[in-house]
Amino acid sequence: MYDAIFIEEHDTPSVTFVFEHFQNDAMSAASSRGMPVIRFVPEAIVSECTVEETIDKAITAVFDGVVAALTKPLTAEEKSPKPREPENPPRIVFKGSLEEVNRFFYQRGWTDGLPVIPPTEADVAEMLTGTDLPPDHLVEKLEPRLGKATVEMIAVNAVMAGCLPTYMPVLIAGVHALADNPVCGMMAASTGSFSPFWLINGPVAKDANIRSTYGATSPGDIANASIGRALGLITKNGRGIRKQIEDMGVLGNPGKYTWVAAENEENSPWEPFHVDQGLKKEDSAITLMFPQSFQQMMPFGTDDKGLLATIVGSIVPARMGSFGVLLTPTNAASLADAGWSKKAVMDYIVKNAVVPDGYYKRLGLDDSKPFDRGNVVITGTADKGVILVPSPRDSEPARVFVFGGFGSWMGFLQGGPPPITRKIELPKNWAQLVKKYKNVVPNYLRY
Amino acid sequence: MNESYEVLSPWAAADPKPLNGLSPRLDDLAGKKIGLLCNNKRAAPLILDVTERLLKERYPTVQTSTFDARTFSVSALEPDRKQEFEDWIKGLDAVIASVGD
Repeated sequence: MYDAIFIEEHDTPSVTFVFEHFQNDAMSAASSRGMPVIRFVPEAIVSECTVEETIDKAITAVFDGVVAALTKPLTAEEKSPKPREPENPPRIVFKGSLEEVNRFFYQRGWTDGLPVIPPTEADVAEMLTGTDLPPDHLVEKLEPRLGKATVEMIAVNAVMAGCLPTYMPVLIAGVHALADNPVCGMMAASTGSFSPFWLINGPVAKDANIRSTYGATSPGDIANASIGRALGLITKNGRGIRKQIEDMGVLGNPGKYTWVAAENEENSPWEPFHVDQGLKKEDSAITLMFPQSFQQMMPFGTDDKGLLATIVGSIVPARMGSFGVLLTPTNAASLADAGWSKKAVMDYIVKNAVVPDGYYKRLGLDDSKPFDRGNVVITGTADKGVILVPSPRDSEPARVFVFGGFGSWMGFLQGGPPPITRKIELPKNWAQLVKKYKNVVPNYLRY
Repeated sequence: MNESYEVLSPWAAADPKPLNGLSPRLDDLAGKKIGLLCNNKRAAPLILDVTERLLKERYPTVQTSTFDARTFSVSALEPDRKQEFEDWIKGLDAVIASVGD
């Protein structure tokens, strides 16, 4: 829709084909760019369809509509759409019991389906102790809706998600990361069900008890659980990306509930990731990635040869986007002990991840066509056959992160744009905040 | 459990956007130059192949010109091609876009 609007703004009539199940998404995209009356033609072709007969039939069926969209005179509303009222919801939006608040929020599409903590004035005020910024400070306007993610809006969603005030600096930096690259909004809405994966680095991780070790991304830690959840609610309530309205993820992704880990810096043999991204080791940082999927593999062997073979052998030729290797401290140490730097590992992956000879032909496919549309430089160059090709969009298509407990399992993040890293600014009262909330940890009874 | 909670709205405020109307439509497609905008989704070029064939069957004097986006959206994600995109639009009477979704 964005291109159609650009074309209309250049005094040229346009019409866009839209899959019939995607009309809400198309209308939201058009409204977000100030042209809610854009003309589109619904058709019955599912996203990524390659069956020519199906496409022929579907386009033939709607072709009269295409002609009409370009020739039928404009209505008064299409010539000059009526201005819309500003969306300024009342600050206090409801009063009721825990159950009533939850039902009210859920029925307005403001939750992720799980119960929320009621964001009362008192709880939001406590959340705001986690930042020096005033409540009305505008952190970002989030595309496509351009909802104003103010400090207070972030705090309200943080309370709902169950956050502690020590997570506010993380959330504010996270919101900046969400706005850094326009592709992030598209990822959140994509049919590919890309999910944000948040990696935390620096002192904030320990201060706020963000788990970096065993089961870092599994349930059970308030920080890992609620930080990702709050940023998901902000995506919904600020960015305006709601399931099957704007978020057209076909299969969905459990990572959208929350997917957060701190890097296991103290057990990594290498510099932490935020240092790779140009920050200082003593800085705190949040990194945003948007993988489609998370795969775990037991390595062929736990020496450097076995680990590298497992990584390279797990990269599927037709995959798309960035590739992330999740190494346990054990596996990272094994590579480092054999002389591998992180950069050398990344370079090895890029160099050796190649499409096996005859791969597509064996699958009965025409290998003259590009299968990786996420990597536009792959065809017609000397790099043909290389799966992960550095490009201006992504100079390091394979990256390495160290987290998790001591063990041999390996993880791979598949897809999405390059990581975005933002420095986390801590408030002046940080030491007091940490002291106040540091002991909020589970104390498991033994049996 | 019967405690009452007065709660703040999580839904972000948003400024009204200035709304724009559409460009005037054509009286007829015959003899016109129609742009076919194709993004990088797999269905997009196949949709436009059929569209071009149907266009030319119905309007034999129509001319077409295709622009292949490298991404989902030229205007949003390909700033280096903005001028090329604008120049392409300038030479057209109308555009049919296929975004593969």
